[in-house]
Amino acid sequence: MGDEISKLPPQVQERLLRLQQLQQTLQSVLVQKQQVEIELTEIEQALSELEKMSDDAVIYKAIGSLLVKSEKAKTVADLNERKELFNMRATVLGKQEERLRSQIKDLQTKLQQDLSPVSPFQP
Amino acid sequence: MASKSEEELRKLSVEIRFLEQTAETIQSRINAVNAVITDLTYANMTLEGLEKEKENTELLVPIGGNSYIKARLENPDKVIVGMGAGISLEKTLQEAKEIIKKRLENLERTRASLQQQLAQVAERIEEDREKFESLIAELRERKAA
Repeated sequence: MGDEISKLPPQVQERLLRLQQLQQTLQSVLVQKQQVEIELTEIEQALSELEKMSDDAVIYKAIGSLLVKSEKAKTVADLNERKELFNMRATVLGKQEERLRSQIKDLQTKLQQDLSPVSPFQP
Repeated sequence: MASKSEEELRKLSVEIRFLEQTAETIQSRINAVNAVITDLTYANMTLEGLEKEKENTELLVPIGGNSYIKARLENPDKVIVGMGAGISLEKTLQEAKEIIKKRLENLERTRASLQQQLAQVAERIEEDREKFESLIAELRERKAA
């Protein structure tokens, strides 16, 4: 396979390399986005669970491996702040994903044009 | 004609590789779900045991490394349950048992659906392998002729 690639024109090789890099970046963005989404789901679940509790309910917050007693109002405020932060991150990651996908698509179209005259299996 | 079969072979081998990766991913998710099920089953067993204990019972609390510290059961009816996002709530023992039971039920459903997916992928791999083998045999015969 490596041999076949080195036979291609340098410009095409460069494009292929760039495509691989973009795909790797997209993969890492998708992983980050998934983590943020998991975090957001957890926050939502915790918030809806807290909603059902009375104002003087006993609540603990994890600080490292310790559980520290906390109050409902403070915990809800904390969670809402984190939710906002994660929502922002999710938006940023979504935009990155969109940009990467369009870059990849462009590059794939160019590569298809580059490779079609030499491809033995034309549709 | 031969090149068409060769192309088919290449496609099949790519598909088989892809399906094998999918099967591995599903299997690792099943393993993760199993680990959580074991963890929750232990928690449930602990709660069921605790239910029969009275206040002030002497306990040994594991601190890891097969080591324990001594403690006393202050209130057997108060259990702290994690809700995710680093938040834990105080629940009664019955409530805690209910929560754990529901989580276990959800996980069992997830596991069943993953196992079904895995079986489907495995079936597809088997089909593809059979096709692959018969194509190879066909190609060999043609080349020999």
